[in-house]
Amino acid sequence: MREQLRRLWRQIFWAWTPNSDREASEAIVKNLWLHWFPAKIARASMDWNYSFWLGTASASLLLILTVTGVMLMFFYVPSTERAYGSIKDLEYAVSFGRILRNQHRWSAEGMVAVVFIHMARVFFTGAYRGSRSINWLVGIALLLGTLLLSFTGYLLPWDQLAFWAITVGTSIAKEAPVVGASVQYILLGGHEIGQQTLLRFYVLHVFFLPIFVWILFGYHMWRVRKDGGLAALEPMRIARMMRPKETPRTKSYSFFGITPGTSVAVMSSTGLEEEDQVFSSPNLTRRLTLVFLAVFNVTLAAALMFNAPLEGPANPSVTPNPAKAPWYFVWLQELVASTTIRIGPISVSGGFIGGILVPGFLLLLITFWPWFDRSPLKAEGVWFPPERRRQNYTFIGAMVVIVALIFVGVYLRGPYWRIYWPGQARPEMPRLY
Amino acid sequence: MAEPRESYEAKDFGWMVAMSIVLLVLVGISYWREFDTEWGKYQDEFPTVLSHFGRGDDVKAFRPGIRQIWIPKIGVTDRCITCHLGYEWSSVLPASIAEPLTPHSMNPWLAKHEFAKFGCTPCHGGDGWATTVVGGHEGGKGWEDPMLSNKLAAENGLTRGEMMQMRCNFCHRHDVATPGMDEINIAKALFKKKKCIMCHVVEGNGGVTGPELTYEGDKNPELVDFAHVTGPKTFFNWNVQHLKAAETVTPGSQMPDFNMPPDQARAMTLLLLSWRRLSYPPEYIPDPTVAAAAMAAIATPSASPSPTPAAAAH
Repeated sequence: MREQLRRLWRQIFWAWTPNSDREASEAIVKNLWLHWFPAKIARASMDWNYSFWLGTASASLLLILTVTGVMLMFFYVPSTERAYGSIKDLEYAVSFGRILRNQHRWSAEGMVAVVFIHMARVFFTGAYRGSRSINWLVGIALLLGTLLLSFTGYLLPWDQLAFWAITVGTSIAKEAPVVGASVQYILLGGHEIGQQTLLRFYVLHVFFLPIFVWILFGYHMWRVRKDGGLAALEPMRIARMMRPKETPRTKSYSFFGITPGTSVAVMSSTGLEEEDQVFSSPNLTRRLTLVFLAVFNVTLAAALMFNAPLEGPANPSVTPNPAKAPWYFVWLQELVASTTIRIGPISVSGGFIGGILVPGFLLLLITFWPWFDRSPLKAEGVWFPPERRRQNYTFIGAMVVIVALIFVGVYLRGPYWRIYWPGQARPEMPRLY
Repeated sequence: MAEPRESYEAKDFGWMVAMSIVLLVLVGISYWREFDTEWGKYQDEFPTVLSHFGRGDDVKAFRPGIRQIWIPKIGVTDRCITCHLGYEWSSVLPASIAEPLTPHSMNPWLAKHEFAKFGCTPCHGGDGWATTVVGGHEGGKGWEDPMLSNKLAAENGLTRGEMMQMRCNFCHRHDVATPGMDEINIAKALFKKKKCIMCHVVEGNGGVTGPELTYEGDKNPELVDFAHVTGPKTFFNWNVQHLKAAETVTPGSQMPDFNMPPDQARAMTLLLLSWRRLSYPPEYIPDPTVAAAAMAAIATPSASPSPTPAAAAH
């Protein structure tokens, strides 16, 4: 009876159970969804403290965003007349609509942060060398894709916050030399934000950019495998190569029977040994589920605790004071504002320096960094190796400056773009009545 | 060879159980939030109130859920009635029932302004989409059109009924005078008497000495100078002070000092703020001759300080 019940239970919930680890790993290879995992994975890449599973966290956020985004698409209307109302409906009338939108919003902002921290991790461990440099470029494209996804999504609620943040953002794009005005015209679908802009941003946000990011993500994962797994394995591979190996005993078959001795053999291992690896199933699949669960929980908790911002409906004739870009672009706005020079009535816009020159230079620098890095091979796949100290300090320095600028832009800038220290009274803005 | 399962299973499995429990709790909270609504409590209460006043049959027909007056052609989605359930029960429920179940008062003009045709927010202001007390009455951050409450009206030295006349004038703009809109009527008479049109363009006519006033109510409050204004920092107050003493508020202003008494200045301000860029369909715009005929029927228009019907709204 008990055995029958157990069998029934298995039949209902799990049609098949592997009898050995080998069967389990074969199941992965045969499975359409899991086949892009290797059958075995190195223990070193399972380490929490090397990668912090930031790539998996980014992918989890992408999945959460895709699923919540598709659900939001059932309610959202990309028209200037109805967009704002459809967000209000989600907030107040749709079942679980507010939680859905909150989770989408916080996952989006979280993804920008996590993808950037993931890049910082790769930089600090020097994991972009050799053939991995291509994946570094793919990663930069994915970071830009993430930023664009977030930026295009920012406009969709069509409230004052969205309208003016996109005004600020696209005005920065206009400062680019030669192509600037055309880029802004193409983005806006005209000379000012309107229905065309909303439709363009919507199509980019729900179709082109997600497809771009998903395809590139697939390639990113494939490259990780083809480049030999995480760079954390490189120090181990070097160690394995150095390790003296026992000469394997071989047999040779001759006309006169078996001849003892040795034949040609590989004397040092270049790959990983059996003891360095574990089966991907269940070790990796379980870990991925765990990371996904943790990320999902964090985003859901954030969705329950904090409401996504929604201000009054977009009003082109009333500019909020101050109008700010989304936080991940506010450091550029801060640069633009602080490089704008005013002498009497003459004003020289900092749009080019802050909006184009500095971010463009940083982007070029980070793109070609793998080819500038001349540190020895042993500095690869290790956190903060002494050989790369100066590089890492440079990166940290740039990060600190950017984070400081974001902090100033988000928390200290008040009306008229003046600095207000915490606790300092901000001027009361006039109301209608 | 080490047994591969040993190394991660115990630890990861423990964490996974923990995370699953957290997920379960969070999903539980989501459901609790979904069903524990502010309006749910009032909807639980309303059938009891109805049956107390002998409307047992209506209790049976009562279905809980979000309610709204939806009028797409004037952009109205008013969910106010999700909580203000008694609004059309004035014949059954006494006015003494506590908000939000209080019935709407039977104003004389309600016959011409049916709930189904006008909704709530065109007259009262506020965020009709919202289904929470704060969200609906005040709107969120940056909401420019809060509900005209007693408190808000008192802050501007008016009663709620007087303040609401500003919104009546959204449609009644072209009436010379309208019954029940005493404040606006005073202002319209003053506007003519003081010959404002000599210096200001309104709807294409007028002098160009002063700024155009056609859409004065849409002006961004941040664009006027509050340096010489005493009292609250509102566009309403700026207008009141400016009408009293233009040159004090705006140094160098050529506007004559009308020395307007405060009540006249407030009435004038209501009129100015009612001039907004609105697009109501033609059937919503009243024929001025109808109001004129109604005014003629009343013996002494705007002379007696009797309480306006709007003031008696609740």
